[in-house]
Amino acid sequence: MSTSIDLGLAPPGRPRRLKGPLTAWGNLLVLAWLAVAVTLLVTHDALGLPAWLALHAFLLGAVTNAIIVWSEHFVAALCRAPSPPERRMALGLAVLNASVLLVLLGVLLDVHWLAGTGATGVSVLATVHAWHLLRTRRRALAGSYAYLTAYYAAASASLAVGGVFGGALTAGGLGGYGRMWGAHVHLTLLGWLGLSVLGTLFTLWPTALRVHMPDGSVRTARRCLPVLLAGLALAATGFAVAVTQLAVAGLVLYAAATAVCLAPFATALLRTRPARSAPWLLAAATGWLLVALGAESVWLAAGTPVSTVVDRLLPMVVVGFGAQILVGALTQLLPAVLGRGPAEHKRVAAVLDRLWLPRLVAANAAVPLVVLGLPGPWPLLGWALAAGAFGGFAVLALSVAAPVAVHGALPAPRQGGGSLAGVALGAAATLVAAGFAVSGGTGGPAPDGPVRTVDVELAAMRVSPAVITVAEGTHLMLRVTNADAMPHDLRLAGGAHTSRLSQGETELLDAGVIDGELTGWCTIAGHRAAGMTMTIRTGESPPSTQDDAVHGVAQPRNAALAPAPRGTVHRVRLRVTEREIEIAPGRHERRWTFGGTVPGPVLRGRVGDRFEITLVNDGTVGHSIDFHAGALAPNEPMRTIEPGQRLVYRFTATRAGAWLYHCSTMPMSQHIANGMYGAVIIDPPRLPPVDREYLLVGGELYGGAPGSDAQVSRIVQGRPDGWHFNGAAGQYDHAPLPARTGERVRFWVVNAGPGGTLSFHVVGGQFDTVYKEGAWLLRPGAAGGAQTLDLAAAQGGFAELTFPEPGRYPFVDHDMRHAEGGAHGIVAVTR
Amino acid sequence: MIDVWTLVRFVHVVGAALWVGGQLTLTAVVLPPVRALLGLEQRATLLRSVGRRFAVVTMAVLLPSQIATGWLLAWRHGVTWQSLAEPGYGRVLVAKLTLFALVMAATSVHGIAQGKGRPRLARTASVAALTGSLGVVLLATGLVGG
Repeated sequence: MSTSIDLGLAPPGRPRRLKGPLTAWGNLLVLAWLAVAVTLLVTHDALGLPAWLALHAFLLGAVTNAIIVWSEHFVAALCRAPSPPERRMALGLAVLNASVLLVLLGVLLDVHWLAGTGATGVSVLATVHAWHLLRTRRRALAGSYAYLTAYYAAASASLAVGGVFGGALTAGGLGGYGRMWGAHVHLTLLGWLGLSVLGTLFTLWPTALRVHMPDGSVRTARRCLPVLLAGLALAATGFAVAVTQLAVAGLVLYAAATAVCLAPFATALLRTRPARSAPWLLAAATGWLLVALGAESVWLAAGTPVSTVVDRLLPMVVVGFGAQILVGALTQLLPAVLGRGPAEHKRVAAVLDRLWLPRLVAANAAVPLVVLGLPGPWPLLGWALAAGAFGGFAVLALSVAAPVAVHGALPAPRQGGGSLAGVALGAAATLVAAGFAVSGGTGGPAPDGPVRTVDVELAAMRVSPAVITVAEGTHLMLRVTNADAMPHDLRLAGGAHTSRLSQGETELLDAGVIDGELTGWCTIAGHRAAGMTMTIRTGESPPSTQDDAVHGVAQPRNAALAPAPRGTVHRVRLRVTEREIEIAPGRHERRWTFGGTVPGPVLRGRVGDRFEITLVNDGTVGHSIDFHAGALAPNEPMRTIEPGQRLVYRFTATRAGAWLYHCSTMPMSQHIANGMYGAVIIDPPRLPPVDREYLLVGGELYGGAPGSDAQVSRIVQGRPDGWHFNGAAGQYDHAPLPARTGERVRFWVVNAGPGGTLSFHVVGGQFDTVYKEGAWLLRPGAAGGAQTLDLAAAQGGFAELTFPEPGRYPFVDHDMRHAEGGAHGIVAVTR
Repeated sequence: MIDVWTLVRFVHVVGAALWVGGQLTLTAVVLPPVRALLGLEQRATLLRSVGRRFAVVTMAVLLPSQIATGWLLAWRHGVTWQSLAEPGYGRVLVAKLTLFALVMAATSVHGIAQGKGRPRLARTASVAALTGSLGVVLLATGLVGG
């Protein structure tokens, strides 16, 4: 039988050997890393791994291996220098890949010394590589390509320095995380990747276009390198010392030199218009590099913070430039390495060019989708396109590289093969199935227990508060806001986590029921080491004194209203759950809730803020939500979703006011009466600060099981069992709202209904400020005063007053039937 | 505790192990030496009879037993048609069953392609079925895990 279809084991008795050349093995490593990176890109969210991992599997794994392997190859081939012994190359690649694994594992497991050792390994290897290249240069026979070794050596030196910064970042950045990060990103991407690519392109693009290298190319190459290096050094220094002008000057210099290097390529490409993928991939990639450099310079010059700019543009450089240049170069170069003779070259090239146009279009359509910060599913679609384009190439290339590396030759035409496609098909089906399986959350019962919401701010490498103490059994919600220019997230040891939050974004994180100590941290590489950690402790004894149990509500809702978070985008996940709620002292009823409380969580922002609410129905009947604070066509966002479904409701708050939100599923009276409402506070522009702000959402109480005949008939007849402020009758009698004499106190009031009026009055007090339904009815300094803030169902506003002397001031709904039926509380004023 | 349900679960797990293990053994252990050592004629005869036997065992024993025991286990778990759509156990089960159906389809494609003399397609289908079977086991692990 023919040996070329010998796909498996050698005949018994002979030791098994790996037959392929080292270059094939090196490229197999590159492709394997690429496949790992794409897999991580697709699965990191479901597996709870940071996106950083996919990024570095690609850059540190695939790209770095490719540059090492191909720079040795080109230096040997073009400069006619002796190739290094295979064993030394193999050792180098082994050390490199072991170091990369250490870095990835170290960051993943949060073990600094492991990541640090890996980063040191990469830096040492880069130094050795640079030294080896420079030594080769002296020994080389052909002088005209000497510029190539200079480019590669400079690139290696950049990696050596960038790697040191990277190692420092994994250990927390030694107090200069932001500056080191900027330097690290630019040294590795513009230095290591950029210089290697530009140096190679002088010879690669003429080969790809099958034209002669233009006269003067070598001279251009020689002249551009110092400019590129000066630009890179300026930029890296600028970022490291946080002098933006210096960084911008460096970037402009680098971009100008890059454009000079690439101009002949662009003209030649447009003249020849080849029908193969490699030249177009190379051109598109370098195009994105120039766009990114231009955008970064302009954006930084406009005064945008470095971390915002770099974070936004990073996908453009990584996907648009890095991934495309790698795929383009491999498409051009692999046939010669993997095939023996022209026929095999053609076969490999045909495999690598399969579906090249859709892949090219997908890759380049992906870039704007992931970079532009579009809403909704667009970024996701962009990442899916990128994963498809580059994952597709990895599969195609592996199908030819693996047999050559393992068996030393391609399988004969129309023999063997097909395994890789099978693995890809099976794995893809499994991925889709697993994705569906884990969709919609865990489906477990909603945790019971009192709910407490705590505001958490991420800024300046700190999580504040760093320690949260709650009573054991508390169901804790964290309202997490990123107040930093740099992106952050928060992950709890239990697995709950926010998405990656850009500056100003807020997300509600359900920490679940706290029954022991729980730690939390930011998962961005190095941020945890820099100190972005928090601890949730159980400490407070459960607040169930006998007095409360008899006379008051066990867990009065905190009526104090926190200021609007600093951000302009508010992302909130609202889970509809059913639970027992104490609606009056000692009386528990099953209620339908937004987020486990009645009223639901309060949202506060300013005019112009965007709100993005994900509503998840974990109840037993259909529900929906209607935000009065946004104006939009109700058809889609206010639709009813069945149990297990979710919807996303987006609105921009264009007008100030105290707005109601409520379930809008029919019959609405029942859904509202059973607890499905809450408030959105949009501050009027230039709202003066006050000493204290309270929020009271009032309305009618109907006892009995939701939907029971008794309850429904009372709702229909408008005969409530009682009235409430913030979900429970009389809850502030035994937990009075504190204030001091002379302090200005602002009461925000919203009437949730479902029916009836609310006439808010403070016994013994006079309002000097009244704001109702978007209008100032009374301002301080006027001669008159106000005794009530009157609200029909679903109206809202605020009233302000100062208390003249210490004492206990009851606040009531001055429809006295309501006050006596539970709509009352106490303000305890002290000196 | 060991009761009749232990037996049902045992049969279900052993069936899955035999089926996935059988495919894995054939692909990774039997096929390579067969390709290396036997001539084209002998190889085809051997592989055809092995494939046919595996198909018969699958259709006659493994598939009915897996469906029967799986049905019983689902019933014991209180799975209803409605609960299949719910997040959690129901969805994982649906995903597993769908993937299993796809694997069965791929296996059929393998058999048909083999019969029509299209080795490449047959190989793709068989490897896809094997990979998908591992996916089925992965999802099954998700069903019994905490």
